[in-house]
Amino acid sequence: MISVTPTAVADSPNKIDLNNLTPEQVALDIKNLNLYYGEKQALQNISMAIPKGQVTAFIGPSGCGKSTLLRCINRMNDLVDICKITGEINLHGENIYGRHVDVAELRRSVGMVFQRPNPFPKSIYENVVYGLRIKGENNRRVLDEAVEQALKSAALWNEVKDRLHESALGLSGGQQQRLVIARAIAIQPEVLLLDEPTSALDPISTLTIEELINDLKQQFTVVIVTHNMQQAARVSDQTAFMYMGDLIEYNDTNTLFTTPSKKKTEDYITGRYG
Amino acid sequence: MALAFKSTGTRQLKNSLAKWLITLGGISVLFTLVLIFMYLLYVIKPVFDSATVEQTSHIALSSEGRTLSTGVDELKEVAYEINTRGEIVFYRLTDKNNHELGSQISSQHLISDDAEITHIVDSGIHYKLLVDSDNNNLVIAPKFQAVYTADTREIMARIDYPLGEESLEIDENNEQLKKVAFAMNSEKVVFVAKTTDGRLIKTSLLAEDDFDYDPAFEAIYQEIDFYSKKVDEILITPDLSLAFVQSGNTVSVFDLTDEDVVTLKAEIKPKTNITSMALLSGSSSVLIGDDKGNISQWFEVASDSGRDFQKIRSFNNASGESVAKIYTEQFRKSFYTVSSSGAADIFYTTSEAQLWNGKIAETAPQAFAISPRADAIVTVSNNELKIFTVHNEHPEVTWSALWNEVWYEGYAEPDYIWQSTSGTDDFEAKFSLVPISFGTLKAAFYAMLFAVPIALTAAIYTAYFMTPGLRKKVKPTIELMEALPTVILGFLAGLWLAPIIEIYLPAIFLMVIFLPLSTLIAAFAWYKLPKDIKLKIPETLAPVILIPVILISVYCAFALSPILETHMFGGDVRQYITNELGINFDQRNALVVGIAMGFAVIPTIFTMAEDAIFSVPRHLTSGSLALGATQWQTLIKVVLLTASPGIFSALMMGLGRAVGETMIVLMATGNTPILDWSIFQGMRTLAANIAVEMPESEVGSSHYRILFLAAFVLFVFTFVVNTLAEFVRQRLRDKYSSL
Repeated sequence: MISVTPTAVADSPNKIDLNNLTPEQVALDIKNLNLYYGEKQALQNISMAIPKGQVTAFIGPSGCGKSTLLRCINRMNDLVDICKITGEINLHGENIYGRHVDVAELRRSVGMVFQRPNPFPKSIYENVVYGLRIKGENNRRVLDEAVEQALKSAALWNEVKDRLHESALGLSGGQQQRLVIARAIAIQPEVLLLDEPTSALDPISTLTIEELINDLKQQFTVVIVTHNMQQAARVSDQTAFMYMGDLIEYNDTNTLFTTPSKKKTEDYITGRYG
Repeated sequence: MALAFKSTGTRQLKNSLAKWLITLGGISVLFTLVLIFMYLLYVIKPVFDSATVEQTSHIALSSEGRTLSTGVDELKEVAYEINTRGEIVFYRLTDKNNHELGSQISSQHLISDDAEITHIVDSGIHYKLLVDSDNNNLVIAPKFQAVYTADTREIMARIDYPLGEESLEIDENNEQLKKVAFAMNSEKVVFVAKTTDGRLIKTSLLAEDDFDYDPAFEAIYQEIDFYSKKVDEILITPDLSLAFVQSGNTVSVFDLTDEDVVTLKAEIKPKTNITSMALLSGSSSVLIGDDKGNISQWFEVASDSGRDFQKIRSFNNASGESVAKIYTEQFRKSFYTVSSSGAADIFYTTSEAQLWNGKIAETAPQAFAISPRADAIVTVSNNELKIFTVHNEHPEVTWSALWNEVWYEGYAEPDYIWQSTSGTDDFEAKFSLVPISFGTLKAAFYAMLFAVPIALTAAIYTAYFMTPGLRKKVKPTIELMEALPTVILGFLAGLWLAPIIEIYLPAIFLMVIFLPLSTLIAAFAWYKLPKDIKLKIPETLAPVILIPVILISVYCAFALSPILETHMFGGDVRQYITNELGINFDQRNALVVGIAMGFAVIPTIFTMAEDAIFSVPRHLTSGSLALGATQWQTLIKVVLLTASPGIFSALMMGLGRAVGETMIVLMATGNTPILDWSIFQGMRTLAANIAVEMPESEVGSSHYRILFLAAFVLFVFTFVVNTLAEFVRQRLRDKYSSL
């Protein structure tokens, strides 16, 4: 059994009951979501509600569909030609797979950070304002303000404020990942998806990012995919365990790690497979 | 226990063998490259060397009398002098065959003993007119002949009398000639002379048969109406058409072609004190020297007021002394000037080069001659004959003549001209690298204009939008195009495409509009097509739908072409372009070359650009899309930006290929070395020029070396372009290796 350090969040006073969420508390409502890669079904009838202003972690062994599920939330799977999706994901009451949804607009509301830091080969400044620029924002003052705000929120401001116009590729891996987070939050999304954000980083950078995630949930709903159970335990408020495209168990993190209700969950967190 | 780590013998041997072989291979590649470079430079270098003049021998003359004229044979083995006593003496210039250097071969008396020669006038290097105090006039031609006896070669000398050994009656009234000039060919001799009684006369001797075999002739006497009693110098062009008569500081030009009347054609007033005058080889230019050491070149130029003589360029001798004499070479545009202090200069007119200057005597030599091959000069002063060897192989080539406008004889203005050979002997080769370098760039420009949009859009589509399955088929297919021999492309372009373009010219321009437009319409229609139908068509087949669209629009363009031609261009586009727009139209033009060479360049650009775009990391594209960018924004702002060095490198490689390409431009350009950006005119490129002219150039000639220079320019150009491309690619690799 893994020893879990209880986090402050877990014991926070606004602790919510996942099974009885009021509509105001729900950020994302996933209903009967099925996903097929050609003939192969990768997600099986997933239904879950992701609460607002909290950190939700998806864990599970490799190939369980946790990243696929995450990528459904901002429709990144659309890029895969053979991918077919049924079911709904509702973002404040509107199905993001609806007929008239503009995918680009959706992604402005649901930001995403990938496994490997992926800054563009531009300056730090241009990286952060990228999302604003493609929307047509060119006012220098607005952009300057957004850069400072975003970099501060991503805890990177102090390190880069003197070299904003230098190439982003000169930053360290951890800095790059925080820059990517800054870039994502510069456009003020509602939901921030983190796809194994620390898997390519060293332990110290990982710690910084984890602390950052804790701060981010003040402003955003955070959904994180991680293969690292300690990380899930450290940063998340609730955790979903997935296995072979099924959502096995979804509960608040403390409960899931200490008293899992499903045998598969217990096997996984005790390290029997994964 | 060091032995434990010792590698086995064979393995070590193989290792070091491989190491040495690879090193050897690498070094020999570099060595070869440097060797090519060095060899090109080695061949080119002599054209930029300036002339050298070196005294090789001198002979004390044994004859009595003052030397008036001298000369040397083609092989520089025999020299002669003609002195006032009417003696011609031949001397040996070599000590071959056990002869003594400077020994007399033979001598001959040309006039009666009591007479004295007053002057000797040359016509070319062969004929000399001797005028003596008894008013005898004799035309002689010293001839040299190689005779082989017992494996040794001897040069024998003799005197020919092409107009007979009798004195010629040049003046009808038999007056003594004060000044005379003559010029002759095998059918006719023309004399222009000033007599002691002040008449200016022209006498023509017409051969009854041919002066080479029969000295019989018929004489025609004419008197020239001339205002001045004073005549300082007379010159007649070798083609017998013009006479230049210097009187004071004015040179009058007479037209001699009419047998009935001699007319004053023009007057040259150089506004200096004329001290000497000479005709440049080719008989179009006259050189006028003055007392300040300036020599000016004049020739006839067509201007608004008709043809008149203009000062084209001028030269200054190094000493700044009065130009005592000007001597011109027989076959080239070189000339020598001599001042009264014995300082000599060598110039070349068209390249405007001063090739050499130095002192050849203490005073102006009594006699001066340039050898027939222009590789030596002979001077006589103070009873001493000196031979100077002249190294002046490529006087017509200078860096500025190759790259700047040059005013050639007979042209209305300075121009850039490449015209290396022609049918006539007095033709001057014109070597300007500008038209052919320009042609290279023009061909490359039109090829790139055609290839870049197609290759880049194809690369973007294939790398960024195409499904992986289709990409796997399309990419090797386009790459296969690169293996197509360009001779086939050139052949098709010249013989098949060029006539089609000529006939259906409007169709080509219609296609420029129709093809992108129809593609866009088809794409829009596809976009609007209901999803149910779209899903039934496999993704890989979707682009195939474009094929009929393209075929239909091509057909439409060709069908509309004659209609358009009838209604808008008066039935014939060629005529319309030539007459209405005033643009020349060549069948093999830049349009044909652009399409054909563009076709050859497309695979190069496509392959490299596609690789560059495809290798943009997926996580960058995803990152952009996840920030709410559309596919299009992602393409422009991230993909193309990241791939830009690779794309640049691809374009440079394409350019390098287009510049160096030979077969297509050789077969489809018409090879006209003109300076004109017009899409309807041809061009000649460096590469094609080398291919066309190398077989006909004489090894070691200026032409030959300039072709090597053209190769060198081409080599440097492609080297720079490819190095730049490689450099940028290296930078790219360094810059994006962390992505």
